[in-house]
Amino acid sequence: MQDYLNIVVTGEIDSGKTTLIGRFLYDMGSLSQGVIEEIEDVCRRLGNGFEFAYILDSLEEERRNQLTIDTTQVFCKTKKGKRFIFIDVPGHQELLMNMLCGSSYADIAILTIDVRKSIEKQTKRHMFILKFLGVEQVIIAVNKMDLVGFDETVYERAKERIAAFFKKIQIKPKYFIPISANQGENLVKRSKKMDWYKGLSLAEGLNSCRRLQASGSFRLPIQDIYYLHKEKVAIGRIISGRIKKGDKVTVLPINRECRIDTIKIFNKNYSAAKCPQGIGLVLDDMSDLKRGQVICKPQLPEVTREISARIFCTHSLNRKGPLRFNCATQDVAVRIKQVNGVWDTLGAQPRPKEEALKKNNLSEVIIVSRKPVTVEKFSGSSGLGRFVLKNNKEICAVGIIP
Amino acid sequence: MNNNSYLAELESRSIYIIREAYHKYRDNLAILWSMGKDSTSLVQLVRKAFFGDVPIPVIHIDTTFKFRQIYEFRYKYAKKWKLRLIIAKNDIALKKGISPEKGRFNCCAALKTEALKQVVNKHKFKALLVAIRRDEHAIRAKERYFSLRDNEFRWNYQKQPLELWAEYYKAEEKAGAHLRIHPLLHWQEIDVWRYIKQERLPVVSLYFAQKGRRYRSIGCECCCQPVESTANSITKIIKEIRDTSIAERSGRSQDKEKEYMMQKLRSLGYM
Repeated sequence: MQDYLNIVVTGEIDSGKTTLIGRFLYDMGSLSQGVIEEIEDVCRRLGNGFEFAYILDSLEEERRNQLTIDTTQVFCKTKKGKRFIFIDVPGHQELLMNMLCGSSYADIAILTIDVRKSIEKQTKRHMFILKFLGVEQVIIAVNKMDLVGFDETVYERAKERIAAFFKKIQIKPKYFIPISANQGENLVKRSKKMDWYKGLSLAEGLNSCRRLQASGSFRLPIQDIYYLHKEKVAIGRIISGRIKKGDKVTVLPINRECRIDTIKIFNKNYSAAKCPQGIGLVLDDMSDLKRGQVICKPQLPEVTREISARIFCTHSLNRKGPLRFNCATQDVAVRIKQVNGVWDTLGAQPRPKEEALKKNNLSEVIIVSRKPVTVEKFSGSSGLGRFVLKNNKEICAVGIIP
Repeated sequence: MNNNSYLAELESRSIYIIREAYHKYRDNLAILWSMGKDSTSLVQLVRKAFFGDVPIPVIHIDTTFKFRQIYEFRYKYAKKWKLRLIIAKNDIALKKGISPEKGRFNCCAALKTEALKQVVNKHKFKALLVAIRRDEHAIRAKERYFSLRDNEFRWNYQKQPLELWAEYYKAEEKAGAHLRIHPLLHWQEIDVWRYIKQERLPVVSLYFAQKGRRYRSIGCECCCQPVESTANSITKIIKEIRDTSIAERSGRSQDKEKEYMMQKLRSLGYM
């Protein structure tokens, strides 16, 4: 079985995101005959040449308008190396929420940039969101090299511009690769038309990337309480770490020390379990256990009623209004006590501002909750370091605890 | 990374979603079971999520045009796994003599979508566990884990809610509406077969090759075509899928027939 990698492809509208994925799948031999025939047929009817983007843009509206509307995921079959799962996201600003949705599953990002253009607004936003979500492995695909005659000087100039931008936002791109998504240059095989380029092809670059793995101390947010043959069992998924029978654990936020009596999976009892298993636990004291509590060992997360966080608003927020704070299985009433700053540019620090929390804004805030919550610092894949805020049962902001 | 740890990740996410669905909906939740490999795997995931028990009803949308082997399989395993089975048929349409020969789109819409509407309304289900996967069809690839259908069963694919890390989602239905919950969305066809092998799950015999042909996807007898194959065991099926370039649902009529048929069917409430 192969290792796999979730890859989000981002970039400006018309920078060739969807085409890149479509062509990559085609060159990898990952497309089924039926798909190729269907697309040839649709392209003929719409009077277009073969359109690689249609492999992913499956909605009628998307094909007619040549625009990706919603995020999608496709699986790339590979004979050797890693198995790739591509996440396509829309480039359009109004569809930023769909971009956010797709990006949350990513281990790494490919950023497509038209070699003839400079870094534009949407690219900045996308990189900002990726950094916010903890996706920091980035491959830059400098696209449309065919439209500049595969010229090295044009590429080098574009690369300089892009590198300057990344220095500013403090991300070090893993690779810069000159490509033509449309013609498949430097995607799977190294391009003969750009023999001046000595680096890796996109496939080689991807193969050298790693998945984000959960690591650290044992954490199990209680998802539910079941009664199995009248026995009370705490149910949940281990989001990091491992445990064995007899271990001493702490239940937060009630701060109770317990011992693990039984570990249940399906129809058997086990002596140990580890991330990412979903298990049932019987502790020596099961009283007051409920959804939202977190079973931990040995280092404990923080229990607090005041959370310093960065939030990205997906809807405009009423600062005074009541909100729900959802973190792992916790669901508590909160409000925003203070806005410390809002990023309006891509500077390293937010500007101190007291203003409304508008849609698509990233802000530094202090949140207070009525009841204590169990949280920890966000570290890429940490479940207790990321959360959402809900207003009227709708997600209105995504947050991390820096 | 070995086979088991990859499947363990897929399984863990699915079980988490199933338990979320149960936490939220308890008595208003049901599973759709077609006896195909995917929904049979879903039933297994539900059994694992609830420690061997299936605490929610299992619906079979019965068009009456299914293969004989499918009905036999249903009888045997509904009993073995102690499933609370609900068989949903659109009797009115069947009495009128609707059939695929009179138009596949209408037949699917009446005997599947409409039958589903009737059973959901009758039992007041608010959420259904459905075993669709992203890699089956490009339209299904756009789905969310928690996907709302309005009271007319329509899917507003242009305005889907935000979902993050398969952990934060919108699970609110308005009166008359229901949620489709897709615990297998992130699985691929080959993963399902590897899981069937790992869990030693039974599958309908139609999946195994006989006389050089087998079914890769099963449904109504009239609308499924077998593919050429010599794979007569699960191990051989896994190998075949790894090497083939033929689409899984290439034998299913409703997926192609006419461009966007799947999109239209789904926007009206099809699975």
